[in-house]
Amino acid sequence: MSQSTPDGYEKGRGMDAHNEVMREIRARNDESYDPTEPTRVWLDEDNTPDGVRNSLTIILNTGGCRWARAGGCTMCGYVAESVEGGTVAHGNLMTQVEYCLDHEADNAEERADLVKIYTSGSFLDEREVPGETREAIAETFADRERMVVESLPDFVERGKLADFTDRDLAVDVAVGLETATDRVRHDAVNKYFDFADFEAACGEARAAGAGVKAYLLMKPPFLAEPDAVADMKRSVRRCAGVDGCHTVSMNPCNVQRHTMVEELYHDGGYRPPWLWSVVDVLSATADTDVIVVSDPVGHGSDRGPHNCGECDSLVQRAIKDFDLRQDPSVFEEVSCPCTETWEYVMREETAYNQPLTR
Amino acid sequence: MTEYFEVHGRDGAARRGELRLTEPVPTPALVDDVLEDGGSRWHAEQSVPEGDDASLTVLPHRALPPGTERPVEDAFTDEYPDVAFPSAAVVSPTTADDYGADAYVLSNAGGYVGHAEAFVGALLSVRAAVPDDTALYCPAAATPANVATLAYAGVDLFDEKRARARGLEGFYLTTDGEAFLEDLGERPCPCPACRTPIEAFDRTDCAEHNANALAAELARVRGRIGQGRLRDYVEGQARHEAWLTATFRRLDQQYGYLEERTPVFRRNELLATTDDTLRRPEIQRFAERVTNRYRRRLDAPLVLVPCSARKPYSDSQSHEQFTRAIGYRGHIVSMTSPIGVVPNELETTYPAQHYDSVVTGEWTETEIGFVAAVLERYLERADYDRHIAHVPTEYREICERVEASLGIDFEYTVSDHPTTDESLAALEDALGGEPSYYKRERESATVRAIADFQFGDGAGDAVFGPDATTEGIYPKLRVRNGDGDHLATMVPQYGTLSLTLAGARAWIDSDAPTKRVDIDGFVPSGSVLAPGVTGADESIRPGDEVVFEGPKAFGVGRAASHGRAMAEGSRGVAVDVRHCAER
Repeated sequence: MSQSTPDGYEKGRGMDAHNEVMREIRARNDESYDPTEPTRVWLDEDNTPDGVRNSLTIILNTGGCRWARAGGCTMCGYVAESVEGGTVAHGNLMTQVEYCLDHEADNAEERADLVKIYTSGSFLDEREVPGETREAIAETFADRERMVVESLPDFVERGKLADFTDRDLAVDVAVGLETATDRVRHDAVNKYFDFADFEAACGEARAAGAGVKAYLLMKPPFLAEPDAVADMKRSVRRCAGVDGCHTVSMNPCNVQRHTMVEELYHDGGYRPPWLWSVVDVLSATADTDVIVVSDPVGHGSDRGPHNCGECDSLVQRAIKDFDLRQDPSVFEEVSCPCTETWEYVMREETAYNQPLTR
Repeated sequence: MTEYFEVHGRDGAARRGELRLTEPVPTPALVDDVLEDGGSRWHAEQSVPEGDDASLTVLPHRALPPGTERPVEDAFTDEYPDVAFPSAAVVSPTTADDYGADAYVLSNAGGYVGHAEAFVGALLSVRAAVPDDTALYCPAAATPANVATLAYAGVDLFDEKRARARGLEGFYLTTDGEAFLEDLGERPCPCPACRTPIEAFDRTDCAEHNANALAAELARVRGRIGQGRLRDYVEGQARHEAWLTATFRRLDQQYGYLEERTPVFRRNELLATTDDTLRRPEIQRFAERVTNRYRRRLDAPLVLVPCSARKPYSDSQSHEQFTRAIGYRGHIVSMTSPIGVVPNELETTYPAQHYDSVVTGEWTETEIGFVAAVLERYLERADYDRHIAHVPTEYREICERVEASLGIDFEYTVSDHPTTDESLAALEDALGGEPSYYKRERESATVRAIADFQFGDGAGDAVFGPDATTEGIYPKLRVRNGDGDHLATMVPQYGTLSLTLAGARAWIDSDAPTKRVDIDGFVPSGSVLAPGVTGADESIRPGDEVVFEGPKAFGVGRAASHGRAMAEGSRGVAVDVRHCAER
């Protein structure tokens, strides 16, 4: 593992500046949240290395990301969903889990095989989720098939993953890699680790018998549409080349509250990516031997990834279809006159003239 | 050092120029075909491009979009390499600087479209930070409707990107706005794309039309700048979009930026058709100088008269009648919208004989307020013993406002109309018993008043001295000093003075504020070029009379640009030489 940590690592002027600005922006948010309720919980189905499974997704309210408190990622507003005071104790975290189980019991016909736990931070960071809680959660879901837990690469250690593998749970670590390009991750996203740290985390997960699901971010601020698409195509392929990383979730950026992206968006300096760009990347990387999925959040709205407004729902459906089938021919079913505009944007948009369209 | 761009002419903040590429590009221009992008450094370290003389290369950049906070801008501000080919540097408003490029790209300028305050703020910041003789490029901003206002604001380079993208999105653009392609009935355009039958006219055609419409509008803008009449056009055309009207009004509020770049005279007419005309720098400057610089030298009662359609006023039939009735016993001052008040001595001075306005017999509240304010300030300074107002009814409200505020009483001599026998007789009677002054007194007052107006408060006496005499027939007057040396000649077309070498020496030896250009050790012949200028007073305006001086030459000429442009410029003419002496 490298020495990168969210506490100590400073990457020069750019990072200082990003953190200074992000802290200031986040300070404008004065909402606080109940530590006994999860941030969000929902039911869905997901593509796993063993096939499509019903899933229970939990966004645990853990007090939020340590990195975000230093300033953090330019597009991430999830810190806004943190609790006052910064930490959530074991008891409250378990109450949140109970809340989610109740939600599942009330709404699902059968229990999900796949349970995904995100924290908007690192589930494997013991200052965020104590070891005691981690073990209790593993025990709670021991009768399921697979679990996904979110973590920054620093905290991926085989000993922690053993809590799950020891209970015969298949486990994947969801790592917010954002991009394989260190320059973009550092300067546009403001995430402190390197691709090498991600590779190391994949090695550590493999040693524990776990897998890694890489989360990529399409179109961070400052990148023009064609540059962002090229970055994603490159990143998917690089992830596919790392042993242990079996799934890539490539997600278009949306405009979240109290973020730098939101400030740019307000002043006409940012547009979320086109859904056609998502389609382009998924089609172009379908030949890789990793599962590539995308879950565009807020699709069709100004603040989310969108096309012209006419075709967004159709394209979104095709993307969800692709997620399950991994077959790019699903995209042949959708067409819209706005592809011409998107192609023009892909040809002509540059970092200094973006966004060419709204 | 600007090597590949040259400003050839100015009309306020707008410029006509040339991108000096293998195939020269007259500006304001669309640069799509000549632009090469060196690439974004946000996602990759880019090497310095090779560049070539046929294109304008955008140096590798980290473009900072609108909305970027200052610390991030500071942290990611780029340095640019010094290159030998035509180059452009991407800048944002707060971090713009002189990077030695030929052109500057206002980062993500499209984000300012629709936002007058943000656009004007960004434009002024960048313009203040980069050398005046470099080109300013606003990418993805231009439309047929906005490009005239953007060029008026001082933007030199544009592209088709926004217009084409809008077309592909199904919007048909014209100089008066945009329409949904589906709603199009008749197309108000004969461009090649619009010759496609309406049933077959698709988004690709629409994009093509938008680009054509933009190119045509830009040709109009270049022509208007050449004529010095872009403002007249913008005042009308900008009204089709609220933010464009807001933009030129906000620029009027930024008087310093516009006034610095506004010529002291133009050959062409200034057409006053809106209340916005009153905010033009030419109008404001005239009012400011009449009320702060002009000195009254004729000791006679004020005779306020209405302006005339014919210019100069004294050539008009009505003013000939007034002059006869007054018989050198009163000081004639014309009241007019949009100029305010014009003392007789300044009736030829730009724009007093160059404007045309809309006459309806009724004045707007804005006109009344403006003229009343100018008249009040004028009277406070000119300080007359008697005030005669020989004006028709619609002017009386103005006089009455000023009477109330200054506590003076006008003697009104018009009944019905100023040129009726009865009115003229009343005017003549009112002046009964007043002594008359000599014509040469009026001529002396005229050249001195023009000097006050042109050079500064008190300059008429300071430069010419107490013993100067005039000769020639008005308005072609010449000024000689007490020793008989020819100092200056009045230019009837613009109501300015051109100085002789002796006049230039008298000027710089006087206490009057001078406009000086310092030059290198050479003797200029036809013109002083910008690279030869080592310094220039910031008070210099385009068209101003300036003195230039260097180790080898002393002379006088006419400024081709404002002072800052001369000092910062590295190409083009700075001063058109009138007289020059080796030393």
